[in-house]
Amino acid sequence: MRKGLIQATDGFERIVHWSLALSCIALCVTGLGMMYQSLNFIGDMMGGLKSLKYVHNFTGLFFGVALYFTIRMWWKEAGIFSMPEDLEWIRCAGGYLWHVDKVPETGKYNPGQKMFFLAVAGFGAIMFLTGLVMWFPLSFPPMIVRLMYVLHALGFVVIFAFFFVHLYLGTIGSPGSLDAMLTGWVSRAWLKKQHPKWLKEMEEHGTLVVYGEEKTAAKGHGH
Amino acid sequence: MKRPELVKLIDTTLCSACRGCQVACKQWNEMPGLRTKQIGSYQNPPDLQWNTWTLIRFQEYVNDKGAFKWLFRKDGCMHCTDAACVKVCPSGALHHTEFGTVGLNSSRCIGCKECVSACPFDIPRYSQETDKIYKCDLCYDRLRNDALPACVKTCGTGALTIGGKDAMIKKAYARVKELGGDTNVYGDKFVGGTHVLYVLDEKAKVYDNLPRDPSVPFSIIVWKDMLKPLALLAAGGVLAGSFLHYILHGPKLPDEPGKEEKGGE
Repeated sequence: MRKGLIQATDGFERIVHWSLALSCIALCVTGLGMMYQSLNFIGDMMGGLKSLKYVHNFTGLFFGVALYFTIRMWWKEAGIFSMPEDLEWIRCAGGYLWHVDKVPETGKYNPGQKMFFLAVAGFGAIMFLTGLVMWFPLSFPPMIVRLMYVLHALGFVVIFAFFFVHLYLGTIGSPGSLDAMLTGWVSRAWLKKQHPKWLKEMEEHGTLVVYGEEKTAAKGHGH
Repeated sequence: MKRPELVKLIDTTLCSACRGCQVACKQWNEMPGLRTKQIGSYQNPPDLQWNTWTLIRFQEYVNDKGAFKWLFRKDGCMHCTDAACVKVCPSGALHHTEFGTVGLNSSRCIGCKECVSACPFDIPRYSQETDKIYKCDLCYDRLRNDALPACVKTCGTGALTIGGKDAMIKKAYARVKELGGDTNVYGDKFVGGTHVLYVLDEKAKVYDNLPRDPSVPFSIIVWKDMLKPLALLAAGGVLAGSFLHYILHGPKLPDEPGKEEKGGE
């Protein structure tokens, strides 16, 4: 850690994030192994496709728990749009796609991140619930079960596509971002560029935690 | 070796409900007989089971003139050309054979039961004990050795016959022409044509558990023919888009420490 770095996430946030992220990746990989026969070989390293099915199902339960904590922890910060600045941000796509002179200042989460959060929260819940029905399909009418398969596949389309957006913007597309989820400490320059409003808020409220400086106030989510 | 597409014809007008086919099927496929339940009918067991791949359905039918009549229908896999079960099977356990029938490689079955809800004829049955599904495979092992399926071999009335697809369809229509009345051919007009055909004594709607116009469920088509390729297209599009974004627009970088305006503290 370097002096002057600012704490962007606490340990709890990072553990919840990676619990959700890693189980989501495991679910995507095992799910692909069942969705495409040409990828059946993914099951080989788990002792066959039947074992892969169980890995998928039980990882799904873990995902459900991680999703619960994710939503409980972030819905207030990332689940609610603040108008009208978020709408303005969406209108100019946050300056990500074309040149924008003045991008509206964003708080802890920009509307793009909020949309990603809502997609994961919404479709994640759908994946969990439809997955449960698909686990015990004989306990439900076939019409319902067939609909569950469609929704499960639709959720996969959305989450799988969004996953790569998240991967890009969390790494090479926005250098410095990854640190927020690895060590939790980010540079002031990064914070100023990415979340200027949040930086100002933390400074105003005295909640800014700077490495090497005395903590000014207790920070956290109250969990 | 190129094999001809086969079709089994079930002529319900010739069936005497002796259930020899039911027994022969069990015997050849070494399926155990399990304790069953009396439901007030000769139909036994009450429904298809994991250990009962074919079943004579007994139906008491009274026509609009008040005349009573038994309807016997041998139920079992219809071996669709456009088979929903094959479409959804994740492991390839369910597959089309060289005869055009739908085979089942039990060792590949993972017990996901997707075929159970996909099948428009409600045929596959799940066994809790083995965690696998079961259904008629039209005696694939016997067909490969140029033998008749066990049910056809044992049928004493000629209600069950098997042969080349075109010849059997012709035979079915000739039989219906001969019989007249409400008799009709069932199977060649939907799901790409089934490899099991009925000559029905009455209109299809009269029969229990027989869908009038079966098809691959629309939800299955959306799932397997649309969303499945879309998943890869969307992810590939995002990857390509990210790459283009990186090389054309460039990453979002923090401002250089020297150039950024002093603020905050």
